Amino acid sequence: MTFSTIGTVAKRGATGFERKRTDLAGGLFKAVILSALVVSLLVLAVLLIDTVVDAWSQLSTRAWDFLNGSLRSRSIDDKLGVKQGLYGSFWIGVFVASTAFPIGVGAAIYLEEYAAKSRLAALIELVIRNLAGVPSVVYGLLGLFLFVERSTIFGFVGLGWLADATGGRSVLSAGLTLAVLVLPIVIITAQEAVRSVPSGLKEGAYGLGATKSEMVWTQILPYAAPGILTGTLLAMSRAIGEAAPLILVGAITGGLTRNPELWDASGLREKFTALPIIIVEWVSERGRDPGFAEAAAAAIVVLLALVLLLNMTAILLRNRFERKRG
Amino acid sequence: MHRSRRSVRHAARLPVLILGLSLVASACGSGGSDGSSSSSSEGPSGEIFISGSSTVEPISVRVQELFNDVNPDVLIAVDGPGTGDGFVLFCSGETDISNASRAIRDSEAEECAANGVDYVELQVGIDGLGVMTNASNDLVECVSFADLYALTGPEATGYRSWGDANGVSAELGGAGDLPDAPLDIFGPGEESGTFDTFVELVVEHPAEERGQAGTTRPDYSPSGDDNVILQGITGSDTSLGWVGFAFASGAQGVKLLDVDGGESGCVAATAETIASGEYPLSRPLFVYVNSNRAANNPGLEAYVDFYMDAGLDRAVAEVGYVELTDAAKAEVRAAWTERT
Repeated sequence: MTFSTIGTVAKRGATGFERKRTDLAGGLFKAVILSALVVSLLVLAVLLIDTVVDAWSQLSTRAWDFLNGSLRSRSIDDKLGVKQGLYGSFWIGVFVASTAFPIGVGAAIYLEEYAAKSRLAALIELVIRNLAGVPSVVYGLLGLFLFVERSTIFGFVGLGWLADATGGRSVLSAGLTLAVLVLPIVIITAQEAVRSVPSGLKEGAYGLGATKSEMVWTQILPYAAPGILTGTLLAMSRAIGEAAPLILVGAITGGLTRNPELWDASGLREKFTALPIIIVEWVSERGRDPGFAEAAAAAIVVLLALVLLLNMTAILLRNRFERKRG
Repeated sequence: MHRSRRSVRHAARLPVLILGLSLVASACGSGGSDGSSSSSSEGPSGEIFISGSSTVEPISVRVQELFNDVNPDVLIAVDGPGTGDGFVLFCSGETDISNASRAIRDSEAEECAANGVDYVELQVGIDGLGVMTNASNDLVECVSFADLYALTGPEATGYRSWGDANGVSAELGGAGDLPDAPLDIFGPGEESGTFDTFVELVVEHPAEERGQAGTTRPDYSPSGDDNVILQGITGSDTSLGWVGFAFASGAQGVKLLDVDGGESGCVAATAETIASGEYPLSRPLFVYVNSNRAANNPGLEAYVDFYMDAGLDRAVAEVGYVELTDAAKAEVRAAWTERT
């Protein structure tokens, strides 16, 4: 949109009624920002093409086997594949959605609609914004402490029950850790969405005799739904692409016997791996076995496809809700 | 009016969705506890957790693959955070087997003893490096560690002739008799374990003493593909390069240089000298097995039995490391069967 506006301004300068002078500065500015766009798209295109070309030997000949295979020691193995990683990443997504989403939206509505505008509220707001910028490794350490190790806080509050519940190094721990990681992002985007609800809608609801909770359910949530959903799904894409926290939570890099079906929930408290971890591992294994470079590229393509699928869902959902709202 | 009724209906769906997702999550959380070990076949079952060296990791994974082909009910996870991290987990009783690219340190052994972890040390293979030059190069026969550091270390940046390195080599106690001939270096890139091994054995120690960065010179031709390194070496008359020994020993058109580790003079790189530990550019690869766990977990015992059999004979070579000699294999097998 910005581009077309600038374009018309520049055109008006050149072909306008008076033709006093050409808008040199404007034209230059347009060229600079256009080249910024072209450069970023070009870099993306080069990376994508390079990765797909590298991945081609795996994807063109044995795409299905690759999607169903497991971690292997040799790249020529015909059972090599990413199913264990897909399993881990899929369930991490499920846990992020089912925990970070309700908690985050709840917190956002409380902060926007219920909390008094006090200093404490301002402080909490500030803390949440800072938490969104904390490096993911730090959340990994938090996850290690809370969900994986049988820790105690200050020497007397035992957290062993939590580690027992999650099974230690498990998909459950990883999912919860990443849920904590994206929680601030979900809260912030949900807050923005809630804030964008016109006050007329709220006041109208009150005017018809609605209570506060009725107003939240009937006006705020439906109106803010597109924004909330987009934010949540983007947060989930981020969670699925994270590798650093998973390394700390104990994702397996070398080999795993277990290779459950995607919907088989019996593996959730067992040792696991995830797509980003598989990519890191195969990239480092390519020194010993160069074939892993292609396998890593193929795994990157699978992860990209998964993230694109999620983003597409986000866009479709947003459009659907926006149409309903309109 | 119509619009607001639609919103109400719509809004009622949202909490249902949230509730549904939470229920799915909690159901999965509680349902997934012990549903794994229910199978009807007769082989051993159990779970094994292996961690430690990322160098040894591929061997243990290969053994896992071969073992699971026969015994699918033993559930194995192999991780590779590094030898040191592996021993921390092993000595606190978290893992059943620890992979290691060096022997256990005294401090680590004390930690194991303090936590009541008894173990068996089993050498499974050797990680050896071959230093090579072009087959037609008669100027060099043997290089010492001092020469190798002087030629490839951080101080060698910019050296274009072998002779340039004589000064540094002499300072480190080397002979300083490298010829004046063009120097083209080919080796594995930083991402490679072979690179790490080379740095650890050759560069790190003298670099630290001389206050230099513990890595190689940046101006050599690195490649992740051994065949490319080989092409480089055969393409230049007085080249220098190194690759894993298992690959180097089968290579054509190159000459393996003798290496002087300072103790027993120049030693030729052969399967025998590497297996005996005489050839200095090599390091032993171990697995440490928690013996109490092995006694109580039939799956673990079967896995290590298998490791001692097909692991030593097949897996080690398949993932690119040097096999033990038959005598050494017999010794390791005896150490495992005669454990107390």
